[in-house]
Amino acid sequence: MTRILLLEPDRKLAEVYRSFLESKGQEVVVAHHAQDAVMAADACRPDVVVLELQLVGHSGVEFLHEFRSYAEWWSVPIIVHTMVSPLSFGGDEMTLRRFGIVQYLYKPASTLQHLSDAINEYVPLTA
Amino acid sequence: MNKNLVSYILSLTTKSGYSGVSMSTMQAFSDVPQERLLRALAEQLKLPLLQIARTAEFAQSNPDTNPEHLGDISYTADMALRLIDGYLLSVQMQSLPNLELEPVSLSAVLQDTAHRLSLLAQQYGCDVELNLAGKYEPVMANREALEAAYTSLGYAFIEALPAKDARHIVTLAVHRSNQGIVAGVYGDHPAWGSDVFKRGRALYGQARQALPVLSASSGAGVFIADALFDTMASPLRMARHHKLNGLAATLAPSKQLQLV
Repeated sequence: MTRILLLEPDRKLAEVYRSFLESKGQEVVVAHHAQDAVMAADACRPDVVVLELQLVGHSGVEFLHEFRSYAEWWSVPIIVHTMVSPLSFGGDEMTLRRFGIVQYLYKPASTLQHLSDAINEYVPLTA
Repeated sequence: MNKNLVSYILSLTTKSGYSGVSMSTMQAFSDVPQERLLRALAEQLKLPLLQIARTAEFAQSNPDTNPEHLGDISYTADMALRLIDGYLLSVQMQSLPNLELEPVSLSAVLQDTAHRLSLLAQQYGCDVELNLAGKYEPVMANREALEAAYTSLGYAFIEALPAKDARHIVTLAVHRSNQGIVAGVYGDHPAWGSDVFKRGRALYGQARQALPVLSASSGAGVFIADALFDTMASPLRMARHHKLNGLAATLAPSKQLQLV
């Protein structure tokens, strides 16, 4: 079972994403803040991180920086799933790869199925 | 970590909180308050529309669809519509050369607002409380604007609540001061402070997150309420109610009815 760390500040959205991904057989740990996400990652050892950049307090970019500073998490793929449009983010492909961001999904343009497919692409679902 | 990479990361978070946008791009945005408010509203509406879209998608994909999902969609859509209406009303009121005020019962307005917000609050694991202890005379205001303002403000407070398992409370409360009758919305957000609101007023419509220590969205509800209260010469201010922080407007009591 794939273990997903979902960093999502909105409670309602987090519940919908969690419910959908769990219905696809995936295990989801939800964190609403960057600080909580670091602690959650330490506790659950995620296979993949799904990350909103626009958070309360510390931003998703700050989380990215901290997460990648730990050697044990260098290889964990990160899917950015965010309200920040790609144009606003401004990161080129090389920079995204340096962060280990395997996909950049703009939430208004990404369905639940898109998210699930992206996760499965990088962390295949195991029965 | 690579120094160039660190510089890039830091450059993404400008002091304004508008990640990934250079200062020169920000300065290209209009500073007209109504346009700024419209941008803040547009940014804010992404959230309820996304909630509606994804909830509907999940309900469609799930054979055991929970009827509560339909209720969620309905309340979310209602709030989004009220935000839009609040903005349009603020624009309309600002264009009036003379805004006519009338005696309005604050208690009645806040009771209606609390009822309207209660369904949304449940979705966020929150209770809406009313604290109307004491007798208050009517205030000079525009009733429609008051309702829209407190609804927008309440929505912003509910949506910005820290997402923890503990049950939260958003309080609509009234008290008397030397300047008039103070009515506002209060919550247990730990990060509220007058400097937060002051920075937010400078940033709304210019940054994606005008209140980044409080809300992951634009906080448009706060600034729509601010614009509405401003048309009634009662701008929002930081206030405290018991141990809660919040935003409140000081409204003038109706002297005419005091004589009755």
